[in-house]
Amino acid sequence: MTVVLFDAEARAKLAALADALIPAGNGMPSASEAGVAGEWLDAILTADPGFAGPLAAVLEHADVADPEGALRKIETTDPGGWGALTTVVAGAYFLNPEIARRVGYPGRRAIPIDADAEPDWAQDGLLQSVKARGPVYRPTP
Amino acid sequence: MPDPDVLIVGAGPSGAVAAKRLAEEGFAVTVLEQGDWPDYGKARPEAADFDITATRDWAWDPNARAGKADYPIDDSESDITALMWNGVGGGTIVYAAQWQRNMPSDFRVRSLDGIADDWPLTYEELEPYYVRVEKDFGISGVANDTAFPPGEGPPLPAVPLGPAGRKVARAHNELGWHWWPAPNAIATRAYGALSPCVQRGVCLKACKDRAKGTVDITHWPVAQDAGVELITKATVREVTTNAEGLATGVVYLDDEGAEHALRAGVVILAANGIGTPRLLLMSGAPDGLANSSGLVGKRLMMHPFGTVVGLFEDELESWQGPWGQWLHSLEFYETDESRGFVRGAKWGLQPTGAPLSMTTSYPWGAENPIWGPGFHEGFAKRFGRSAMWGIIAEDLPEESNRVVLGDGTDRHGIRGAKIVYEMSENSTRLMHFHEERAAESLRAAGAYETVIAPQIRATGWHLLGTAKMGTDPATSVVDAWGRTHDVPNLFVFDGSVWPTSAGMNPTATIAAMSLRMTEALIASRREQAVAA
Repeated sequence: MTVVLFDAEARAKLAALADALIPAGNGMPSASEAGVAGEWLDAILTADPGFAGPLAAVLEHADVADPEGALRKIETTDPGGWGALTTVVAGAYFLNPEIARRVGYPGRRAIPIDADAEPDWAQDGLLQSVKARGPVYRPTP
Repeated sequence: MPDPDVLIVGAGPSGAVAAKRLAEEGFAVTVLEQGDWPDYGKARPEAADFDITATRDWAWDPNARAGKADYPIDDSESDITALMWNGVGGGTIVYAAQWQRNMPSDFRVRSLDGIADDWPLTYEELEPYYVRVEKDFGISGVANDTAFPPGEGPPLPAVPLGPAGRKVARAHNELGWHWWPAPNAIATRAYGALSPCVQRGVCLKACKDRAKGTVDITHWPVAQDAGVELITKATVREVTTNAEGLATGVVYLDDEGAEHALRAGVVILAANGIGTPRLLLMSGAPDGLANSSGLVGKRLMMHPFGTVVGLFEDELESWQGPWGQWLHSLEFYETDESRGFVRGAKWGLQPTGAPLSMTTSYPWGAENPIWGPGFHEGFAKRFGRSAMWGIIAEDLPEESNRVVLGDGTDRHGIRGAKIVYEMSENSTRLMHFHEERAAESLRAAGAYETVIAPQIRATGWHLLGTAKMGTDPATSVVDAWGRTHDVPNLFVFDGSVWPTSAGMNPTATIAAMSLRMTEALIASRREQAVAA
């Protein structure tokens, strides 16, 4: 596999685009403030190195003097690059455990189904009106 | 080693049901599977980066996955791309486990609606087989759903409705619309080899908790203990025949590409609605094997899929839960021609996923961009406070929708498939109607905003109809028992045989049909012609 390195210039470009995608606001940090172009980019590329090539191609051609304009161009002319860029940026943002904590995402926990409790579909007579209405299928002719 | 009595191509649900049952009756069975066993070491839902790795490791599109077991599928002329898992377990590895029986009308479309074809069997004939496979797969649900004839239900209690499901259930009660606790191939209690579900919401990306009824867990170990030989990484290139027109076996290539000829008394194809016609078309020159009707590969049906999301004020923790479905509705399943189309669709209520899923154009729509100054506000509205109806739309059989051989080749140089599929006007009208009604449902449940997801191509989970079942050899490929009209010891047991598609997730009926056809084969064993 070809190793794609993201040097300081590439990371600066990514930070500019990422902050246009996820700016600071509502008490939340921007993408670059959350480390999207730093350690969390590295984490994404460790999880799936396949993002490196498409992301590098997007960054190579992006004019980040106008990040919003660059994003519009990527979205309209390069669907694959747009998909890679937005997945990496959002993926890296939410990989930061502090961001996950602040949006209230504890990860996918194991929540056993309580076998001893009355099932919620059996409570409050929920099914009574369905049963009272009777069959809703056409029988075999 | 003696030749097997029965050779099965494909280790998905239809092959698994057949192999297990045949072995129980003492048949010598060999199964050839082009893929490998699932690697649950790659199913890590507790890992923070699972949403990144799962998209790669449990990808549904074989073209995107491009694994060793995958053959290319040219979908350049198809409105929908075909999705599948090529490995032991087949589609069950990545299915949502929504376990839907077909309704009685699904078997009598011609008689009731004057279109397409009746099946050469009825709901009542298949019902005992549904009951039996539901025990084998560890199905959860509640008996006597009012959308089906009364009878024995699944062995395990239904999954919880959850907060979103209870909202929708109450709303449907007020609307007078059908709903029922969802049937799922998700164990809600310890059951056989299955463990109880812990609601991580990752059914579609393999279940490492062993709670999902997948045949690598529920069937293959039992079948192997009963003597079935399951050969993985074995890619079948053709079904071989003799001068008498009987199948003699297959030619397959192993992992290293070495060619093997394997003889058997009976050959069963269980390679899905694309793999099975592909193999038949590769097997007999010039038009393919068992194709005197000309219908092999034709009438491809893939179920256009719709999604409608509701946004709620309340915290619903909607990244967790069975996925799967919390409940289903069949309110608009039956034909009402005043709606401007025939047939209908099934709805299943589902979670919306983890944070990354809140940013994607599906289901949220490119017209609802989250990016930019409104990102955090938009994210807060969606995350944990949304639920969505998944809509399985029946598509009608049309010969122009088809599987043919493609120009691309797999790693062994064997030709891939090409699909040609256009969504019909009936399907388009049907989908629009159902999306509007589903939005109405969610608004009645308290959603302050609804989003009708864009139609995307990557929804072809259900591959049906390409080796049609029927009584007339001129208009069908197999008979009511899966036996090809042209080759008396060649059978098709997968979803290819469906005369019409219904509007249901198909695995329940694929499994029940496979069991029924297997037992017919067992019953006729003494009359069964085999090659000398």
